Amino acid sequence: MSRFRFRGAALALLLAATAACQRGALQPTAQLTNTAQPMTAAQPADPKVEAVVAPYRLKVKQQMDEVIGHAPEAIRKNPGESPLANFAGDIQRERAARELGQGIDLGVMTNGGLRAELPAGNITTGSIFELMPFENELVVLDAPASVVQQLFNFAAPIHMAVSGATYTATPDGKPTDIRIGKEPFDPAKDRTYSIAISDYLASGGDKLEFFRPLPPRHTNVLLRTAFSDYVRQLTKEGKPVTAKAEGRVHF
Amino acid sequence: MLRRDFLKSSALGAAGLTLAGPGLITSALGAAKPVRLTILHTNDMHSRIDPFPVGAAQWADEGGMARRAALVARIRQEQPNVLLLDAGDIWQGTPYFNFFGGELEYKLMSQMQYDAATLGNHDFDNGLQGLEKQLPNAQFPFLIANYDFSQTPLKGRFQPYKVFEKQGVRIGVFGVGIEMAGLISDRNYGATKYLDPIAVAREQVQHLRGAEKCDLVICLSHLGYKYESAKVDDHKLAAGAPGIDLIIGGHTHTFLDTPTVVEGPQGHRTLVNQVGWSGIKLGRIDYVFDRATGRKGVAMAESLSINASALS
Repeated sequence: MSRFRFRGAALALLLAATAACQRGALQPTAQLTNTAQPMTAAQPADPKVEAVVAPYRLKVKQQMDEVIGHAPEAIRKNPGESPLANFAGDIQRERAARELGQGIDLGVMTNGGLRAELPAGNITTGSIFELMPFENELVVLDAPASVVQQLFNFAAPIHMAVSGATYTATPDGKPTDIRIGKEPFDPAKDRTYSIAISDYLASGGDKLEFFRPLPPRHTNVLLRTAFSDYVRQLTKEGKPVTAKAEGRVHF
Repeated sequence: MLRRDFLKSSALGAAGLTLAGPGLITSALGAAKPVRLTILHTNDMHSRIDPFPVGAAQWADEGGMARRAALVARIRQEQPNVLLLDAGDIWQGTPYFNFFGGELEYKLMSQMQYDAATLGNHDFDNGLQGLEKQLPNAQFPFLIANYDFSQTPLKGRFQPYKVFEKQGVRIGVFGVGIEMAGLISDRNYGATKYLDPIAVAREQVQHLRGAEKCDLVICLSHLGYKYESAKVDDHKLAAGAPGIDLIIGGHTHTFLDTPTVVEGPQGHRTLVNQVGWSGIKLGRIDYVFDRATGRKGVAMAESLSINASALS
């Protein structure tokens, strides 16, 4: 047990006292033997602490293992328009609309923001935690047309879909024929578009720098909560959990 | 506002000294026997109650608070004077936090008798209310000198520093936190004001060395180990506020095999230590206090062989 505790030579430092910072009567010497002690299985656990943890651990496990829905097929992510990002973006738009009591034009989620795919079969609370482990909040941005244009300029080269819109990506990665709610998008138009998005992406995360100046409107709903509520609602209605890439990006 | 809190804490410290101090100091000095002090520390434990899963891609089966508790308990049996300290970001990272809001983290830290902690940015993840709700579960003080909570519901709940006394040795511990703007959601820190950590640390050192007559000054810092930019970090803190003996750092999840020595402008040397994150390691620094030789401005480092028997 003491094999890693005190090995070999140790450095001792007699620390300096200066006239500028007077010391007390005692002068400390630091002994730097093993200053970062590893915490591995070689160290037995304290049973008293284990006993305190046990009921919490059980509750976590029970909640994480709770089946909240069923997916006939895995909901995957892939480069370009992905079923998983469509799933997330659509839920964001729908939930934000409900929270703020208004229609929401667009929903944005990047592949990078989604940390795991949803498996075929049972979907548990744990599946949603793996998908979204962060405490990201669902927020709404009111973006002028110029920022919306930047969003599509960002999306087109990687064929990223945006919930609520369709567009065509040209071979050189430019967006054309952008339609928002089936209406053709005019970047010169003087209006704002509401965007349901995570607070992380809204603050410029995942290279969406153009969103950074826009003040977010809060929903006070975590993204993870929005996802799990949606799955529970489907299950309540007797519906399976599905999502697909459906040609939101033409190329 | 902060000034008033500061003075109040000082007065309390002085009262404590009057009651308990002089006898101990006299006996320690009278015996002229070296006093040993063991500093144990963690940072960025991020709600890692259980070890990482056995199948994890990285850190498999490492960490775990019950293991740490056993190691700390053993060291407490072996050593006469132990301080157990944490440099912030106790919260966020496992479902234990999502489900119980930090309750278990504070309870276990209390159970293993942490002496003090400072606040990291993730300790604001459930807002000021979430922090307030869990404070009764923490049987240890949070030390933070450069956050001004006077305009918030948490006014008066934290103290800038605490002086510990072990066999007549006085150890002053204070805390500094990272700038909140841009890192923590505005609504999660509310009207908490961030003050320049270097200016505040200078005041703390002066007070702890002066009125509080501390033999050792420790800073619990959640600023971060080192940045290439102008952003304040533990190196800049050590150089900018000379007189800190030990900075126990956090935030950058930096694993140091051995503490970094920062040379201050007046020849003062500050040790900076940080032990990664998630309780994968337990930091340990042992001090021996001898009666002062009277020499000032001595700076010397030496190597010596040391084994378990020499330390126990």
